[in-house]
Amino acid sequence: MTAAFAALAFLMTGLATAQTLRRAALWRLGAAAPVDWVSGLAKLPKRYLVDVHHVVARDPYASRMHAIVAGGLLAATMLAGFAILPPLAGSRFYWSVVALAFAMTLAGSLLVGARRYPKTPKRLSKGGFQRLPFLLLAYAAGGTAAALSIALSGPENPVLLVALLVAAGGGLGLAYEVKDGPMRHAVAGALHLIAHPRQKRFEQGRPDAALLPLDLDAPKLGAELPADFTWNRLLGFDACVQCGRCETACPAFAAGQPLNPKRLIQDLVGALAPDGPTYQGSPYPNARPVAGEAGPLFKVIGPDAKIHPDTLWSCTTCRACVEECPMMIEHVDAIISLRRHQTLELSAPPQKSFETLANLREADEPGARPLTARGDFAAGIELPVISKRGEADVLLWLGDGAYDMRYGRTLRALIKLFHEAGVDFAVLGEEERDTGDLARRLGDEATYQGLAKANIETLQKYRFNRIVTSDPHALHALRNEYRAFGGDFEVVHHTAFLLELIDAGKLPTGKLDAGTVTYHDPCYLGRYNGETEAPRKVLDRIGLSRVEMARHGRRSMCCGGGGGAPIADIPGDARIPDLRMAQAAETGAEMVAVACPTCTAMLEGVTGRTAEIRDVAELVLMAVETGRADEPRRAAA
Amino acid sequence: MRIAVLLSAGRHPVSGKPTLPRTEAQAIRMAAGLGAATGLHVGPDAFPAEAALGHGLDYAAHIACAAGSDPVGPLAARIVSDAPDIVLAGRRGQGGDETGLVPYAVAARLGVPIVPDAVAMRPATDGLVEIDQALPKGVLRRLVVRTPVVVTVHPAAPPPLPFAFGKARRGSIERIAAAPTDLAAGAPPPEERPYRKRPKMMRAAGGSAADRLKAVTGEATAGGAKVLDHQTPEDAAKEVLAFLRRVGVLAPASAAGPGRRPAASEDASRHATS
Repeated sequence: MTAAFAALAFLMTGLATAQTLRRAALWRLGAAAPVDWVSGLAKLPKRYLVDVHHVVARDPYASRMHAIVAGGLLAATMLAGFAILPPLAGSRFYWSVVALAFAMTLAGSLLVGARRYPKTPKRLSKGGFQRLPFLLLAYAAGGTAAALSIALSGPENPVLLVALLVAAGGGLGLAYEVKDGPMRHAVAGALHLIAHPRQKRFEQGRPDAALLPLDLDAPKLGAELPADFTWNRLLGFDACVQCGRCETACPAFAAGQPLNPKRLIQDLVGALAPDGPTYQGSPYPNARPVAGEAGPLFKVIGPDAKIHPDTLWSCTTCRACVEECPMMIEHVDAIISLRRHQTLELSAPPQKSFETLANLREADEPGARPLTARGDFAAGIELPVISKRGEADVLLWLGDGAYDMRYGRTLRALIKLFHEAGVDFAVLGEEERDTGDLARRLGDEATYQGLAKANIETLQKYRFNRIVTSDPHALHALRNEYRAFGGDFEVVHHTAFLLELIDAGKLPTGKLDAGTVTYHDPCYLGRYNGETEAPRKVLDRIGLSRVEMARHGRRSMCCGGGGGAPIADIPGDARIPDLRMAQAAETGAEMVAVACPTCTAMLEGVTGRTAEIRDVAELVLMAVETGRADEPRRAAA
Repeated sequence: MRIAVLLSAGRHPVSGKPTLPRTEAQAIRMAAGLGAATGLHVGPDAFPAEAALGHGLDYAAHIACAAGSDPVGPLAARIVSDAPDIVLAGRRGQGGDETGLVPYAVAARLGVPIVPDAVAMRPATDGLVEIDQALPKGVLRRLVVRTPVVVTVHPAAPPPLPFAFGKARRGSIERIAAAPTDLAAGAPPPEERPYRKRPKMMRAAGGSAADRLKAVTGEATAGGAKVLDHQTPEDAAKEVLAFLRRVGVLAPASAAGPGRRPAASEDASRHATS
């Protein structure tokens, strides 16, 4: 009978492997992608124990539950397999260890069950996941009873057969679920960690968020069919465990726009394998009707297909879903891939973006404003232009916030601070084009690449040490995304630069007495570049008392302004900036500090807000002016 | 139904970059709803043909000719040999070498009617096409026209589809060399006239704001219309003149004395040139 126990472990492994191979046949429909299996496999334990755990542990219950049940399941099954070795099969000590492992699994499966029964939390999907606790329970309880009975009364006893049958039912059920059921996440998740399309995200200190450049000579631009994704991305979609962390983080979902990252990934899974189980999680809010036709070689986007275009264009590319995903799925990459096909091949970006895209293509500027007018906001302040000097220590990239009357105030404050601190700086003047970020997020890679190459050529004409910009979108483009086109620049965000100036004593700041302030992290600075500390330190240096919103730092919520979402303007129930300002109001702060032109515009556009919106640069200027006003008084004292 | 879309080399009003004029991009979208469309550009640079592919054409012909030469001859020759049912064109020149009066010159050369300012078109029964024509003040007029016909597109037509790089890449351009034609030989010489002071249209109206608006826009109320049938040409002309004087388009008869005109125009032309 001990051999039967070992056989069960091998049978489960065999069944799981067979089911994985059946699923892998679908992944193989995807496009080719280079994968270094050896190095990926070597790095798997670290990626699982460090990177995945880091995300899972944000929900301590889920983390404990998963550690116990997954650890128990693996340990118990492996240990049971060793029973084919005769010396072990005869050892009562060995069987008590096996029993212990199964008991751990049992405890874990009770935790899994307690999470779903009596009431399943809203963010979790139902369907097959509701069966999972029972399968685990059967396998664990049967295994515990069987191992315990062998340990206590030897291999021949009446309990053993029944216990083994129960364990086999549960265990084989779990193994069968590897193809289409909840257990798929375990196998696909592990393979995804090995063959992840963004290997760098596990390796460097800062996030790997630069969009991959599209080969404009490729036979097809962007993803139209599920089979157009590379196979390891299809594998990534299959890794989804439907925990719904992405949907709780998604600003578009919160605002009632028809996007739910979890549903989107499941729709991509369902598009690849239409005969799989139906999705039973929360839907797209205000879901647009779709005919739902699907197949590996059927288009993904369209009212007649699986995903409505409005879903695609609701995304702000804030990466909150990617940040929250314990399975390391790259939702934003998938969305951009699909958008690229819509825009580049089908002329089908959102109707409201037609003009913006045309302006970017024809006038290098989203509003078709003259490039010569970019510096107009600085009337009355000295704004050196680099073409007249040829070189400067710091090149100030103004971005398209410069055309905005409100944001002009921030830039004026920043330039005044530069003068105050004696920074040797210059701007590109009329040679500065849009970075193309907006075109790229709207899928127009061709326009983006044209702008990127033109900007890189301009920048390479001049000598400067660093680029400073107050626009995190420009920062991300210049620092991370231009690299693929030969632009290698050191780019500093203005908040980090101001911190440097303050710490070097070049900006004598007084203490501001302006009540409490809460800092709103721009997605493209925090999540895309991992910079969350410098702006906070600046606020602390100028003496403001700082409170944090519940969502801050890398888990901050988007203002709604990224990814061309304000231009696509997909209707929902609420506006994202309204939600964010409500979160700011919860802290009781009288002021919201921002560090991005888009956030400034979005948050200041909220009606009935109680807090003022101030850029970090404006606050520093206020502090410098306060210090200057205090000085004569101090000298007199 | 076969459609030829005339493409011209416009310039972006702000950046000055070469651009396909918006109305021509709209024409491409309109043509897509009618039948098989091809583009046709005569000029030194293939840019408009390339841009047109991105806006939705599958095929465009670029007839290369020197800058400054008259495009009407090559255009007309090509249209005659292709014999499309409808020739769609932009509406007027706003910058660069935009189409301007070329559609009118082409229609005149071909001897086919021209319908300006279409906002929508539908094929009707054999050889007929139904055109919704934009008139001032948002009025639409439905015309049924026999093909072949030259049609210009109004900006109020459905917006153009955005430029798609993939489409531009897929489409094909046929390059054709044209026999050089001299602009001066083909086109009538430009005419120069001295500046003429425009009559003030508001003067005759007076009254309330509504009256003045009515006078300027010439709103045709049912009571204001005067239908004259079977008049002699002289009587008809008198009626028209009287009407124009009444609404203020022409100065009243007494003010139009010959003595004051030249002085005024000389004065004004000095202003215009200084």
